[in-house]
Amino acid sequence: MGNRKMSEDEKKSFFDTFKEWFGAFSYGVFIDKRMSVVRKEAYDEYDNLMLLLFSDFLGIPNPISYYMLELLPYLAEELEPWERRIQNRKFIVAEKAAQYDFD
Amino acid sequence: MIDKRAVPNFIFFGGKGGTGKTTCAGSFALKMAREGKKTLVISTDPAHSLADAFGVTIGPEIAKIGENLWAVEVDAEREAKKYMKQIQDQMLDLVSAAIVEEIKKQLEIAYLSPGAEEGAIFDKFIEIMHLMGKPYDLMVFDTAPTGHTLRLLTLPEVLGIWIQHLIDRHEKARNLMKASVKYDEILKKRLEDDPIIRVLTERSKKFEFARGILTDPEACEFIFVLNAEKLPILETERAISLLEKFSIPVGGIVINKVIPQEAGEYFERRREVQEGYLKDIYQRFSSYRIVSLPLLEMDIQGMSQLNMVADLMGELIEE
Repeated sequence: MGNRKMSEDEKKSFFDTFKEWFGAFSYGVFIDKRMSVVRKEAYDEYDNLMLLLFSDFLGIPNPISYYMLELLPYLAEELEPWERRIQNRKFIVAEKAAQYDFD
Repeated sequence: MIDKRAVPNFIFFGGKGGTGKTTCAGSFALKMAREGKKTLVISTDPAHSLADAFGVTIGPEIAKIGENLWAVEVDAEREAKKYMKQIQDQMLDLVSAAIVEEIKKQLEIAYLSPGAEEGAIFDKFIEIMHLMGKPYDLMVFDTAPTGHTLRLLTLPEVLGIWIQHLIDRHEKARNLMKASVKYDEILKKRLEDDPIIRVLTERSKKFEFARGILTDPEACEFIFVLNAEKLPILETERAISLLEKFSIPVGGIVINKVIPQEAGEYFERRREVQEGYLKDIYQRFSSYRIVSLPLLEMDIQGMSQLNMVADLMGELIEE
């Protein structure tokens, strides 16, 4: 009778939907962008670590390479992509520039 | 009765090639075994001669060769193969067979790399060191010629630093990664379980263990064997200063093959030169215990002859 009042449940679900949408929106606009920069940095850091661990495979002598083989079981899957990436580094400046979103 | 000092549990014999390291290590071990110490002699020289000195067969596994006496010759190639096999087996549990096939090439490269042999010997070394007290009371190491051994002994220090650096680097990468997956639950889970840090830490602990023993004057002692000649003296001096830099304790010097007075006219001139060098040795190494062994009529070979020399080695354990 008269104006149907919004029940408490409906109110909540409306608010939740709003929150969800707003969350997704702000994630896309602010967070994802920022996180992808951090993540790129993290991947670079991991690539450098791989270089310290397995530089032997690229022909750079490494005093500890024998012991680092113990890590191979855990890193085996990443080894091949890493080798490809590290051997294909043509222009490091461009790589860095891309990271800072100059495009 | 002469007072005996408390002998460290780990004794290393080292020196230039051909000076008689194996003979000294062998006879010293025999002497200690005769005194009732459960003694293990370990040869880390890739060109083993321990078996020849004792006149018995000694293999890559510890074997009893006498009363209170055990011996082993570390086989670097065998240890390296065992290590590779272990990694391959472990890999099969974790990744697909196709990737293992691909990685095999990498394993081959590492196997042939310059550090592999030392790495393998060092691993065995640590494994053997853990046997102290079960049941051995004393371990006598017959090491490879100086350069090789110094590299081996300084390995824990150098690699320890390297590993620490790797751990720090990995932490940094991990923290960045963690920050970037703050809103990504799946990746977050994957980061929780981190075998890399575990493996690196285990490695670092092994180095710490070896380093702890090698730098403790109550646990370990290095004895140099040299001849009264110019080159061995200079090399020994250099080696001692390097060991001291890495705080590995030096216990004594054995001057081997000293030409005795009764050697006769033929050796007279040689003996005069030797006198000079002997004086030099006593001067340079005055802060260490010095034992001198005479040049014998024949080479020392087999258990019974080693036994004869063993008494002369007694000076090393006197107060």
